Amino acid sequence: MSRLPLSLAAVSAALLLGACGQKTEAPANTQTASESASAQACGRVRIANMTWQSAELLANVDKLILSAGYGCDVELVAGDTMPTLTSMIEKGQPDIAPEAWVNAIREPLENAVKDGRLHYAARSLPDGGVEGWWIPKHVADAHPEIKTIDDALKRPDLFPSVEAKGKGAVHNCPSGWSCQITTENAFKAWGAKDKGFVLVDTGSAAGLDGSIAKASERKEGWLGYYWAPTAILGKYEMVKLDAGVPHDKAAYEGCNTRADCEQPAKTDWGHTEVVTVVTTDFKQRAGQAMDYLSTRGWSNDTVNRLLAWMGDNQATGEDGARHFLRTQPELWKTWVSPEVATRVEASL
Amino acid sequence: MSWAQTFPALGEDTLRSLRQGIDGTFREFTREHGETLERLFDPLREFLLASERLLTTSPWPLVVLGLAALIWLATRSWRIVAGALAALLLVGAFGMWDDLMKTLSMIFVSTVVALVAGIPVGVLMSRSDRVQRWVNPLLDVMQTLPSFVYLIPVVMLLGIGRVPGLIAVVIYAIPPIIRFTNLGIRLVSRDLLEAADAFGSSGWQKLRQVQLPLALPTIMAGVNQTIMMALSMVVIASMIGVQGLGQPVLRAITNQYFAMGLFNGLAIVAIAVLFDRVSQAYGRRLQKHQGVNHG
Repeated sequence: MSRLPLSLAAVSAALLLGACGQKTEAPANTQTASESASAQACGRVRIANMTWQSAELLANVDKLILSAGYGCDVELVAGDTMPTLTSMIEKGQPDIAPEAWVNAIREPLENAVKDGRLHYAARSLPDGGVEGWWIPKHVADAHPEIKTIDDALKRPDLFPSVEAKGKGAVHNCPSGWSCQITTENAFKAWGAKDKGFVLVDTGSAAGLDGSIAKASERKEGWLGYYWAPTAILGKYEMVKLDAGVPHDKAAYEGCNTRADCEQPAKTDWGHTEVVTVVTTDFKQRAGQAMDYLSTRGWSNDTVNRLLAWMGDNQATGEDGARHFLRTQPELWKTWVSPEVATRVEASL
Repeated sequence: MSWAQTFPALGEDTLRSLRQGIDGTFREFTREHGETLERLFDPLREFLLASERLLTTSPWPLVVLGLAALIWLATRSWRIVAGALAALLLVGAFGMWDDLMKTLSMIFVSTVVALVAGIPVGVLMSRSDRVQRWVNPLLDVMQTLPSFVYLIPVVMLLGIGRVPGLIAVVIYAIPPIIRFTNLGIRLVSRDLLEAADAFGSSGWQKLRQVQLPLALPTIMAGVNQTIMMALSMVVIASMIGVQGLGQPVLRAITNQYFAMGLFNGLAIVAIAVLFDRVSQAYGRRLQKHQGVNHG
């Protein structure tokens, strides 16, 4: 989905990343992991720290719990989805990708799972990621008749484009993300061009976020692609437009997600599966840490609220993770055994 | 010795409230003045759109002929014209014609803006040491401050698209033209100025008829550098929605498309070389034409 670019030609990534993914010398004595020994058993763990907020937050929660609760020596490795997963598949490093949005890289990912190189652990966001076209709440309040994408496309005047005079603007997803393709195809499928709209290239996530922030601060109209859970949606109230049609899996996966799709269909985005992916090597040596990674997951609401708190306090992912562990023990304690919970709590 | 291990930074809370305070003030400012500022830049937007329309909607043979004529007028060198044409057509043949035109238009407009704004500043700087003392550090900041730092406020104020992209490019590309104009004028020999004084020239006449013409070769080197710096910002500008060759590079980065990145990167190199040769040849011609040289 959004930040999972489509390219399957990922071998070059693996080559590039190979240099960084030096083999960690994982302690081999992990099989002895017993209830009491688990603190020493886990060894060195590299967690992929993806570039968007919800993934950064989860990576930090994992880091705190794995290091305090299971005695792992955790290192966060920055990286975007495609390079990270490619490196995991080809090099077995990093060990864990806490929040992988499966949709667009389904094929290489599932092949790697079939080959036994990677394993799915828990679903990080059991609700699934939400994608679609959104408008600011102040516009939705002023024009309650706008409920669906079709409704919005009737009013180019409400979402004026700055550069194309007299036209409306649909803000596209950042360059190179797979949602750029689904948005382009949706733009075609809904006939937005004939309805007086242009598709605005936002360039990067920062550009897309900036355009939303600007429109919301100044109470201007805005229409475009976005996804949840995200910090922006915690900070600025946005309303997701109903697609007006159900999710058509065949059309979506067969055509709308492809750049050369000739007859894109009107289809809802459907909820994206968001899972934790671990390498085989890690799965074998992780011991009890694997139990944690196979159970933990949180709702979009929880994440949205945490991200909003982080935005308000200009907090880093680590601050956010600590805040979460301090304020919502009732949630995270269901993910771990009581002994682990005690150790984690003691570390806060 | 524990105090020596960690640097005595301001408290986390102080820093946070400081950041929040600055952000809050800036947000207030964008709310109050954003629209006015945006309107201020409307003429620039029209200029950008017009130049892009001219290059992208005219038939391509016309564009090629026009560019060739321009290059010939500037350089009077068939070799450069032939090389430039070969580069343009090759880039076009690889399917990057539209992006190439968008980038050319962007570079053209940002160079014009940088020259119009930069040369007067350079002249002012050359006339007053005090101005020079103030402007120089500012230029250092403009050249070294990471562009993303000012992209955030620019996007908040002006949104995404061509105008904010242009501003980012100009901030980065304007220092050379200012510095070189200043330098060129300061290098004009004192004797010549005295001679001009002896003929009773006014300050304006001295500037227009003695200093600027003699400084021209140096200024042309500044123009050349300004264009190069503008080109190097193409990819960054595309991160806030500027179209052109930067966009496919960005797409290539996120997707690990090696060939796509290489093609578009080389296309940027091709126009950089083209601009460089043309502006240098033009500078040399001016110099020869006037038979001056300061060493």
